Amino acid sequence: MRMDPNNVPEILADLQQSEVSLNTALQQVSTGKRVTLPSDDPYASAAMVQNTIETGDVDQYTQNVSTVLSTIQSADSALSSVVSSLTQAVSLGTEGANSTNSASNLQAIATQVQGLLSNVVSQANTSVAGSYLFGGTSTTTPYTADASSPTGYTYNGNDGVNSVAIGDQKSVQVNVPGSQIFSSSSNNVLASLSNLVTALQSGNTTDIGTATTAVSSAISYIGEQRAIYGNSESQVNSQETFLQQDTVTLASQQNSLIGVDEATAAVNLTQAETDNSAALAAAAKVLPNTLLNYLSQPS
Amino acid sequence: MGGLNTSLSIGLQALEANQGALNATSNNIANANTPGYTREVPQFSENEENLSGTEVTGGGVTLDSLQSVRDELLNLQIQQQTSLQSSADTQSSSLQQIQSYFAASSGNDISSELTAFSSALAQLSATPTDSAAQQGVLSSGQNLANAFNSTASGLTSAQTEADGQVTQTVAQINSLTQQIATLNGQVAQLAATGQDGGTTEDQRDELVQQLSALTGVSIAQSSDGETITTGNGTPLVIGSQSFTLQTTTGSNGFKQVLDSNGSNITSSIQGGQLGGAIEVRDQTIPGFLSTLNTLASQFATSFNAAQAQGFDSSGKAGQNFFTLPANSADAAAGIGVALTSASQIAISSDGSAGSNGNIANLSAALTAELPSGDTPAGAYANLVFQVGSAESTASTQSTAIGQNLQQLQTQQGSISAVNVDEESTNLIRYQTAYEAAARIVDTIQQLNTVTLDLGSSESF
Repeated sequence: MRMDPNNVPEILADLQQSEVSLNTALQQVSTGKRVTLPSDDPYASAAMVQNTIETGDVDQYTQNVSTVLSTIQSADSALSSVVSSLTQAVSLGTEGANSTNSASNLQAIATQVQGLLSNVVSQANTSVAGSYLFGGTSTTTPYTADASSPTGYTYNGNDGVNSVAIGDQKSVQVNVPGSQIFSSSSNNVLASLSNLVTALQSGNTTDIGTATTAVSSAISYIGEQRAIYGNSESQVNSQETFLQQDTVTLASQQNSLIGVDEATAAVNLTQAETDNSAALAAAAKVLPNTLLNYLSQPS
Repeated sequence: MGGLNTSLSIGLQALEANQGALNATSNNIANANTPGYTREVPQFSENEENLSGTEVTGGGVTLDSLQSVRDELLNLQIQQQTSLQSSADTQSSSLQQIQSYFAASSGNDISSELTAFSSALAQLSATPTDSAAQQGVLSSGQNLANAFNSTASGLTSAQTEADGQVTQTVAQINSLTQQIATLNGQVAQLAATGQDGGTTEDQRDELVQQLSALTGVSIAQSSDGETITTGNGTPLVIGSQSFTLQTTTGSNGFKQVLDSNGSNITSSIQGGQLGGAIEVRDQTIPGFLSTLNTLASQFATSFNAAQAQGFDSSGKAGQNFFTLPANSADAAAGIGVALTSASQIAISSDGSAGSNGNIANLSAALTAELPSGDTPAGAYANLVFQVGSAESTASTQSTAIGQNLQQLQTQQGSISAVNVDEESTNLIRYQTAYEAAARIVDTIQQLNTVTLDLGSSESF
């Protein structure tokens, strides 16, 4: 049977094919990616859309976790300072309730308790990065001095609560408004202190004793409120662990979707190089071969 | 009984026949690399024998014709496959251009911008009063709108390019059909006189081959040459007459193809560059655009609704974040950001400046199901899949047809192509025959001289 004498198109097609494989292998080795364009693997490219968004979110949630932790810790340390002020007030109150105190002594104790009250108020006005920890969602200073108020202070914040996103559909409470912690109608911490001051100033030991007991119960009330922060903190901590795992999961998913196994890629590259050299060598052997090479030259 | 002159005339015929064969061989060698050339083979036949009394002598040789060696059926198959391949190639090259807008590696595709927007919202959730974080949401929203705009414009410009290709290809088709009709007439004339079409036929077949790369054609043989029609039967060439296709701008703003009677045949054209360009322009890209527009419009509406649930930094009810053009078919191309300042983002759920309550709603708009039944990311992922798989299908198809085509061409080459080795061998063969015939003439001449010298004194 007669053969197609023109083998150039076939040789060219072989060369081109081996060069395409070589380029693909080279690109995969140098980028570490199997998929750079949607047509390389439409399914993986589509799955990567979700993966990219989730990866970006998880990065941001991880940052949010540390922001939330620092806010919660600031609030907690402010409350801890409030508790130690209140504890001091209780011991001062207990001292004041002792009937051996002179009037001037009681005055001095009252002044100390007044100092503790303003200390608690200043803790209640703590701000982090320009926002108040205990002002609800308001941006005004939570407590300002107000002579008309029985406690001497008035609350300017609101009772709003903010929650920060630390996961998809997962957020954590980051503040307890001052109206709930310091000046709630049932457990008014500021009022208990100012009542103690009034009782000390009056010198009535029974009143002092009652006021001191109120301050003691305020300590346990603050403790209850701190539990809200503690609860948020433990949620954030466990979420942080989850986010770390999720980051790893997403990265490994990304790798299996569009990444290339380095060993396979290296083997493919070597294979492609061999194929290409073989195609070139074959072309070099076949192309110049004609009968004319063997016919004697005309004399 | 034949005389010396009979041998002389046989020798002369042999010289002529072998000279003709040598001509054919040299022409074959000369055209070894001419596209569309089919090798010509000399057809020898022995002449009628001479009867002289009871003695019969051979009548010598005649070179009847030079016959082109071709296989019409194979040509038809090659033309069909060429149409299919060139259609797939046209679609693939257009889709390659489109898919770069959907490649995540570009960094400003919709997927990357959606990621940035989602992250910016999550950041704002932690720091609602931070003006840098607010600005981050506004500018990433702007970038997302821009990504929609540029993807839509990428699709539209690929569509416009395909439209330009339609006009160009129709002009090329018209020029080819005209030339084919002329050659077709000549081939028919040659065939009528019983002659081989030879070079004329080669030229016509080569042009038909080029035509089939431009559009799918079907070819029928008739007494006045080939009848070439488009796939749906619109005549392009009948005998020596060609029919011109026309283009006119249609209601959708794109060129429509009309046959010579003015009927619109655009939707029935298949195969070739023209078929590929029309498919991409009228089917593939409009499909992508409509998905993209639905996504842009539903996403913007859903995000605006979330924005309306909250209050901005000054305590006013949230206004629209995104604007959409009046015509929903331009949603992706025209989507923009309506807010002029980051303070207009509806962060607060209660109207107070420090609240971040509405960010949860804004973030939820990014992950909630749209009326289409998909989340924004899911809808976009589907589109990426569609674009990627359309390109991969077109290029896989092109590769597969290419292999098929190469096989057919090898088969055609084995029948019609010039083999230089074969021609070199023939050259030696005809050369030897020519030399031998020349020796006959030489010998007869010597014998004639001897005969004429008979009885002359000098010979004795």
